[in-house]
Amino acid sequence: MKAFAYVNATSEREAVAALKFDGIALPLAGGQDLLARMKDYIDSPDRVVNVKNALDATVTATPDGGLKIGGAMKVVDLAEHAQVAKLYPAVAAAAIEIGTPQIRNQATVGGNINQRPRCWYYRNEEFVCYKKGGSRCFAVNGENQYHAIFGNDGPSHIVHPSSLAVPFLAYGAKFRVLGPNGEREIAAAEYFTMPTLQNVMKENVLADEELLTHVILPAPGNVKSGHYEVRYKASHDWPLVFATIVLALGGTSGNTIRSARVVLGAVAPVPWRSKAAEDALAGKPLNEQTAALAGEAAVKEAKPMSGNAYKIQITRTAVKRAIMNAAGIKTA
Amino acid sequence: MFRQRGGGPAQPPPKPLDPRYKWPEKPTLLGTSVKRLDGPDKVTGRARYTYDINRPGMIYGRIVRSPVPHAKITSIDLSAVQKAPGVKAVLAWKEAGAELFYQGDPVAAVAADTEERARDAARLVRVRYETLPHVATEAQAMAADAPQWSTAQANTRAGTRQETGDLETGFKQAAHIVEQTYSTHVIGHVCLETHGTVCEWEGDKLTAWVSTQGCHQAAQGFAQALGIPQTDVRVITQYMGGGFGSKFAPDAQGIICAKLAKLANAPVKLMLDRREEHLDTGNRPSAFAHIKAGVSADGMLTAFDATSWGTGGAGQGANFPLPYLYQFPNRRRAHTDVYINAGTQRAMRAPGHPQGCFLTEILMDELADRVKMDPVEFRIKNAPKLAPNAMWIEYFQRGAKQFGWDKRHPTGDPTPGPIKTGMGVSAHLWGGGGRGSQSHVDIMSDGSVVVKCGTQDIGTGTRTIVAMVAAESLGLPISAIKPEIGDTQYPFSGGSGGSTTAASVSPAIRVTTMKALDALYAKVAPVLGTDAQNLVAEGGRIHVKGDTSKGLAWKDACKHLGTEPISVDGAWTDGLSSSGTSGVQFSEVTVDIETGIVKVKRILAMQDCGLIVDKLTAESQVYGGVIAALNFALFEDRLLDRVTGQMVNPNMEFYLLAGMSDIPKIEIVLNNMPERGVVGIGEPPTVSTASAIANAVRNATGVTIRSLPLHPHKVLAALEQERAGGT
Repeated sequence: MKAFAYVNATSEREAVAALKFDGIALPLAGGQDLLARMKDYIDSPDRVVNVKNALDATVTATPDGGLKIGGAMKVVDLAEHAQVAKLYPAVAAAAIEIGTPQIRNQATVGGNINQRPRCWYYRNEEFVCYKKGGSRCFAVNGENQYHAIFGNDGPSHIVHPSSLAVPFLAYGAKFRVLGPNGEREIAAAEYFTMPTLQNVMKENVLADEELLTHVILPAPGNVKSGHYEVRYKASHDWPLVFATIVLALGGTSGNTIRSARVVLGAVAPVPWRSKAAEDALAGKPLNEQTAALAGEAAVKEAKPMSGNAYKIQITRTAVKRAIMNAAGIKTA
Repeated sequence: MFRQRGGGPAQPPPKPLDPRYKWPEKPTLLGTSVKRLDGPDKVTGRARYTYDINRPGMIYGRIVRSPVPHAKITSIDLSAVQKAPGVKAVLAWKEAGAELFYQGDPVAAVAADTEERARDAARLVRVRYETLPHVATEAQAMAADAPQWSTAQANTRAGTRQETGDLETGFKQAAHIVEQTYSTHVIGHVCLETHGTVCEWEGDKLTAWVSTQGCHQAAQGFAQALGIPQTDVRVITQYMGGGFGSKFAPDAQGIICAKLAKLANAPVKLMLDRREEHLDTGNRPSAFAHIKAGVSADGMLTAFDATSWGTGGAGQGANFPLPYLYQFPNRRRAHTDVYINAGTQRAMRAPGHPQGCFLTEILMDELADRVKMDPVEFRIKNAPKLAPNAMWIEYFQRGAKQFGWDKRHPTGDPTPGPIKTGMGVSAHLWGGGGRGSQSHVDIMSDGSVVVKCGTQDIGTGTRTIVAMVAAESLGLPISAIKPEIGDTQYPFSGGSGGSTTAASVSPAIRVTTMKALDALYAKVAPVLGTDAQNLVAEGGRIHVKGDTSKGLAWKDACKHLGTEPISVDGAWTDGLSSSGTSGVQFSEVTVDIETGIVKVKRILAMQDCGLIVDKLTAESQVYGGVIAALNFALFEDRLLDRVTGQMVNPNMEFYLLAGMSDIPKIEIVLNNMPERGVVGIGEPPTVSTASAIANAVRNATGVTIRSLPLHPHKVLAALEQERAGGT
């Protein structure tokens, strides 16, 4: 590992100032991503800025009835937070499925959102891919069983690794970002970026000297939500596919879907909003048949790679079961 | 390591066993459940594994390895690294012009004052490579216009050719024929403790702490590679974190460690990291077979014709027994070893057997379905006859009853909904048996007892069974015995492989302790006014047979030794161990047919094991074997990028291993057969689990997956493509 300078920032401002640096400066929170990248020589920063003590690690209520989650909050605390579980059950469900107890005890909300791809080509030094400044995506002709089935126009075919980004997006969250020139709020839906040759070395709009300080969730309103994750192993494994569904209900019976948010994880370079599934749900009664229709609609535009067509069936299932989950129908 | 029944060189007829050494008819300790003596040390961290050895002035070694699968070294420039901070020694392991055959092939090495500096310094070694075309898969290597894995050797080599009976007649007798291709994949040993060594020289004498399955073998390896007398090498392995067949020799990293220590004139620690462990410490070869097999209308196997192949990586074979276990009267098999540019195979827990078992057992269920016969009944019909080392028929019957096999539905779970349940069965065999261990026993005048044997505890509980056998023989509690193992300063014992350790070590300890006891009787008999042959040792006393009042407490008896302790050598002898084991396993799984995810619900393992020494550690062997095989069935997969030949998952993140919640309920039935003596069972329990799981998946889903692992992509593809004929 390359020797680096260590800055222990104690405030947001101090952290941001420390990131503005002539050389490579990277923020360190729970360390579940950065330390592994450094040990594997994927990243070799000149300066590491500890932001654990600089960022908020709590949940506070917002005036409109939503919640504001600090970027340094541990995933374990998010998973166990009563208000989060009550207002945004899919966030709590996603949080408790992350990694292992040890990882959840260390990992932070901000770190989970901003972690770099878990693509095995990116994570192994030998493969100098687009993400590392190279000129190819090894997954195209290689081992792509865990890669994207949506948004596959390239140049990179990673799947976005964040488990929390998906429910945050589904609940319409905004991210508060602080930089040297002040703060800005970005809708979660606008935060993550599809790869282009120009921006392929990043997965979001966050500038090098900016920090994501808070996740701001609006009041959920009259919604039902569901989350379903398909993993090969029962725990300590990256999901093959997962889905968060947020349904606004109405109608005389209160069981008609007025509108829906369907967001898929581990299927595209960004948390993937499925407009087709949302359209299929609008105006329908909330039941198993509707769930199956939405699952079918969600995969219509899938473009799998050579070795991951099986993820289409899993996506179909994840969407269907997340909706059934929202409806309170028992699933496998 | 790789012995089949009836194989191997002819043995001289065994000498009759001296009746003094016979295993006791009514043992007090043998066959009971005794907790590992070193359990507390292991869980508290007091146990010092090779990784934990720290010597004064010790520095750290690091190996530079080939980043590419096939290349020629153009040049090696060590000038930059020699000037790097903290660097104490540098060596070129290979010279310019040498050919490298796989990613991870060792090229050079450095030693520096910290592990981190050694890692950084290794990156400063400038190696220029001329990359050569490579082959990354069996199919690539076997293609007509394939590049060669080596500039000197072809990609394939004809292996075993066997033919028995008359195939034509066999197929004529068949009412049904199944013709399919079956395969298993390459997996690693994934030792929790990686391979590695700490080497320290004192003049020309080398002390090496090695994570090894064979102290004495490792010492021999160091002596040969370094050109020094074996008497100048001491190898120590007090605790070992798993080897599974991959840790017998010092390996490149051991010799490099010794050389760096000599160059730097300082002790060197060189432990591999997880990535190196995946790339260069061995693996289980792949196995493929295109099989055509026939079955008669009444369910008798008639013919088996197979073309098989597999890869053991760069220049290593990949043989396996085929057909496995069941009796095909007419059979032919032609095998080809395929070489690819990948890390080489090493013996891995029951070498060849899990592969041969899978290839045969899936076929067996397909054949059973053709004749509408229950898989257990079908197997009983075609299994070898009952014998002490061949208990399959009994295990099929007993196991089916215990497992609730009568509740198994025909192929394809008719239950509505996405979750399908199924049961499967499979059988296995193994050799095991004992050979040539020696030991030494000292009984001191204060009554303390030390038992020394140059075996090693590879995690199986050997230290505990050494103490148990000695305590049983001397009529003492286990706590009165000091077992000393894991050091070449103790008498020779073989490597812990082939399930031979318990069956080699236990008889040696029995013979030596009984000899020591005879010596003690000789001293005590005059005191008790009797002859030595009238004495027995039990319950911590030595007394006259049939008269407990006429005796002495152990300590008081030992006082009569005066200044001269009893010091006795002994060795393994025929008659206290035997070889040949059989086992049957049942499995129940659920398959989510909408996601392709397989979950194993329960396993029943029926296993014979001769005389059980420690029931607890014997059961642990079965647990470990079953869990390892579940990993083989579902999770583990060495994945090489098909284009670059580089491994994409040399870690524990994408090289999957079961966690606690993936491990099912495992029921174990150990068949204690004391009349057979000790038979090791380290390997057999890992043979048939994967096949039993795959057959249960087939029973659940009604589709046959003929290759491992049972990844969701295969399950879903099979569900889409094919429905098996149900019974």
